[in-house]
Amino acid sequence: MQTAVTARKRTSLAGWLTEPTLAGMRRRKALLGYLFVLPTILGILVFTAGPVLVSFGLSLYKWNVFRPPTFVGLENYSRLVSDTRVLVSFANSARFVILAIGLQIVFSLLLALALRQRMATWMRYYFRTTFLLPFLLSGAATGVVLSYLLHQEFGVVNYYLGLLGIPRIPWLTSSDVVLYTVVLAYLWQFVGFSLITMLGGLSNISSEVLDAAEVDGASGWSWLWQIVLPMLSPTLLFSAVIGVIGGLQIFDQPYVMTRGGPGDASRTAVMTLYEAAFKNQEIGYASSIAVILFVVILAITAFQFAMSKRWVFYQ
Amino acid sequence: MQNQGFNRRQFLQMAGVGSAAVMLAACVPAQPAAAPAMEGAAPAKEVVVLRVQGDPANETPLLEPFRQVHPGIDLEFIAVTGIDHEEIASKILSMIAAGEQIDFGYSATEALQLYAGQGLAYALDELIQRDEAEVSEYFADVHPSLIEAMMYEGSVYELPFDFNAANMYYNTQLFAEAGVDHPADNWSKDDFLEVARKIAKKDESGQTTVFGYAWTNRLWGSWMPWIFVNGGNLFTEEKAPGGEWLWSTFYADDAAAAGRGGGYRWVTPTANSPAVVEALDLVVTLTSEGTAPAIEMGGGQTLQGFFADNKLAMTPAGGFWAGGLANAGFPNGSFDVQLFPSWKNQRHQFGTGGQWIAAQSQHKEEAWTYSKFRISQEGMKLWYGANGIITTPSRRSMLVAEAFAETGPAHWQVFYDTLDKHPDTAPIPAPPISNPMTTLFTSYTGRAMTGELSPQQAMDELQKELEDLVARSQDIMYPQG
Amino acid sequence: MQSSWPEKKNARAGHSVAEALPRHGRRWLLLLCLFALSVIMVGPIVWTISTSLRTPAASFSLPPKWLPTDMALENYAEVFARIPFWRQIFNSFFVTLSTVFGQLCTAALAGYAFARLDFPGKTLLFWLVMATLMIPLQATIIPVFVLISRIGLSDSLAALIVPALFTAFGTFLLRQYFMQAPKEFEEVALIDGANQWYIFSRVYLPLTAPGLAVLAVLAFNGTWNEFYRPLVFLITDANFTIPLGLNTLKGYMMTGSISVVLAGVSLSLIPVILVYLFGQRYLIEGIMVGGLKG
Repeated sequence: MQTAVTARKRTSLAGWLTEPTLAGMRRRKALLGYLFVLPTILGILVFTAGPVLVSFGLSLYKWNVFRPPTFVGLENYSRLVSDTRVLVSFANSARFVILAIGLQIVFSLLLALALRQRMATWMRYYFRTTFLLPFLLSGAATGVVLSYLLHQEFGVVNYYLGLLGIPRIPWLTSSDVVLYTVVLAYLWQFVGFSLITMLGGLSNISSEVLDAAEVDGASGWSWLWQIVLPMLSPTLLFSAVIGVIGGLQIFDQPYVMTRGGPGDASRTAVMTLYEAAFKNQEIGYASSIAVILFVVILAITAFQFAMSKRWVFYQ
Repeated sequence: MQNQGFNRRQFLQMAGVGSAAVMLAACVPAQPAAAPAMEGAAPAKEVVVLRVQGDPANETPLLEPFRQVHPGIDLEFIAVTGIDHEEIASKILSMIAAGEQIDFGYSATEALQLYAGQGLAYALDELIQRDEAEVSEYFADVHPSLIEAMMYEGSVYELPFDFNAANMYYNTQLFAEAGVDHPADNWSKDDFLEVARKIAKKDESGQTTVFGYAWTNRLWGSWMPWIFVNGGNLFTEEKAPGGEWLWSTFYADDAAAAGRGGGYRWVTPTANSPAVVEALDLVVTLTSEGTAPAIEMGGGQTLQGFFADNKLAMTPAGGFWAGGLANAGFPNGSFDVQLFPSWKNQRHQFGTGGQWIAAQSQHKEEAWTYSKFRISQEGMKLWYGANGIITTPSRRSMLVAEAFAETGPAHWQVFYDTLDKHPDTAPIPAPPISNPMTTLFTSYTGRAMTGELSPQQAMDELQKELEDLVARSQDIMYPQG
Repeated sequence: MQSSWPEKKNARAGHSVAEALPRHGRRWLLLLCLFALSVIMVGPIVWTISTSLRTPAASFSLPPKWLPTDMALENYAEVFARIPFWRQIFNSFFVTLSTVFGQLCTAALAGYAFARLDFPGKTLLFWLVMATLMIPLQATIIPVFVLISRIGLSDSLAALIVPALFTAFGTFLLRQYFMQAPKEFEEVALIDGANQWYIFSRVYLPLTAPGLAVLAVLAFNGTWNEFYRPLVFLITDANFTIPLGLNTLKGYMMTGSISVVLAGVSLSLIPVILVYLFGQRYLIEGIMVGGLKG
């Protein structure tokens, strides 16, 4: 209370701030806080939040780029819910993300545990580097390369599978297969990054805990379920959140590989969004797809955080 | 805090709505900026800089000679790249939406009616009529089919610079091994099937090692040529009125100009007509029996490789493929070309491209000057001389033996014969809605090719979606009446 | 390095040979699997490089050849002839380094504030940042493009850099690192009479170096390979970044040679791999130390 009274007596702002008390320090920290977040908040408002509000606004208009927009209310949304192509694309995105992110987490965890095993340092270095290598390439470039390698008739992949007696797989030309191909291509490119994340998470758990439990004869499964996973849960949450957000927005690689085909079998939500906006010049309609996509991502992320209270343990 | 009447949440809401309104206002297309150079007494010898959408690498050979003749005009290139013409068109539209200045650009048939119909492109009629003496030599050298494809509602919007008709390329080595000669000009669908099935090879496990035929899932030159030779199309074809001035001025003596009008109108979808379904059935059969591979989306680069590696006997492509195969290191003589086979008729299809002048341009006269130079004898020789035959020149006189001496094919005459010997040859359907139309077309093509839908089902659904699209897009379709 | 890799202690002494052998076998099997996987991961990249050294006509022969056969260096010469390669590499470096530097600055400041400073509205602002992480790029590109044109940045490298200086992901990431740094350091510094800026810049920022390294490498990788925004924002080829240049190589009507495209891809890989080789120690240690957590 003493400090509060003195604070009111002071008249100059500088004095108010530089007051050598705890309250003064709190004020200084608060001011510094605002200054520190200012660039990011301003930048995000201007270049992300503002534009997305514009998209909200545009989703209520019909606008084909050439003529002034005309207000149509919720017409774009009512068209959207009966547009099978858009609905299929959202379903594809959901299937893709569940498969791709699920497998990415499982694989990268298994790989991380495998790399904990005893092996020469150079081997560990070699594996880590090679697994991360595809992550360094651009999605547009890997898309071109993979579509050659995965060609049904003359692709390198089917050639080697053929040597093993496996018939040619229509990687990119069958509606039943193509989404799995896109998932595999995603895993190829991104499992390395996730692996590094898992290794980081594992290294945070003291090795005594991990090893002691293992040596004490806990079976492999219970060791994994009762020791590793709970201790790794914050990392798993991070991977799931970032994975879903990124996975629902992935564009370059699948677009170059499949263009959404055959039919609509690999068309994702961002592809329909891109096509509506840039190919069909239906900016308003595209904006309504963008809004729904944003709401979906937001809902999933909020759900993940809400559920995380049940299974994520912070040390 | 209660009585302040304006809390933080309300403020944030206001700020949000306000910034959205500002941004929305910013999104409305800008008025073209007034040309700054025109203020006051501009120096008489000022150089006009044109903003041109084009590939600078391809245009460079024309620039020096052009500047020598026209020192008052310079060009600044806007290289719009994209995987296909739709991507290029979409980027141009985004630029226009953002208020970017473009004086003129290059577009294919697919975008012409969209640009013209939306008032983005400038009708060239008056300029052509004024410069009749200068351009009549050009028209005499260019087939009327190409010109008509560049018209919209009675006016000309582009002068064709190149075109590509869907012809049949074949691998000479595979033909020779199978003992097949160069097909006759009027070979039939059945002749084609016999050759394709004869050359296709399977190994002992039943997997195909050499394919008789392959194509790429897109609009031009996919299975569209089969629709045309079977007497069908995706839309009804009508002719807009007008254009008599053009035909009577430049093509008075040309029989091929008879019956031409003021440009195409693709009005009513006919995707599930028997001719279209039958054509789709043919290509589905070829794939299911293993004569043709499963069909991929995209630009056809994979096919180029397989063709070059003797794994593929025939594929539909235009003059641009000769240049592409040469770039791919495929020697002259290892491939050749023939007209697409006949079915109910032998009506071929093409796409063409040229320069359009922006309606908003402050420098239409200068843009026209460059466009004329580009389509002149000299301009075309410079362009194709430096870039090679990476597309088919629109001028008949450019297609001569020496142009193909290095790259082939031996039967290069086929390219222009497609027009000269078949005056009914027509452009691919390219209504103002051609972009969404193409997406639908390739999507349902894919679903039929994978067996997900029967050809009839696929085309029924395509028809329904096209009808919806047309109904929804009346504001950009043709003027009524 | 060695210390961050907890070696499994030798199993208890007195294991019988019979028990040891299957364990040994399992280990070899595991290594074999890992090795097979690493071949799958690297294979496409090796194929890219070896095919870039062939003529296209020789590129599709089966069985595939993994070693360069023709040494067709003309594919590389063609890359330099068709696009202003050095200029575009320079552009890519300029955009990438500016973006990385800018993101490190803004994200370090904001991340520190969200982690260690208290101010009214902090939670709200933090969730605003988190929410923008979920906005797809495609949803904002048209308004941003319009904005860029209006402020006169269209077709400039600044059009790519300026909107990318602010990063929700980086802020979120660095916040995690700052949160893990011990509070006690601040108290010690305060007793020594340090001011808040000093505490940020001299005490906590150095502690977060691993996090900065992670963000730097990720931002470098993401910006270097970015395709979508450059495609929309950049117009003249002298301003292109290298992924757009590679797109140009596909050629008019897609008549470019696939080998030339792959040669361009191979060339564009070199800088990223170099950065990775230099940066990987920091990247991996950074992730190890910080632990990415939700």
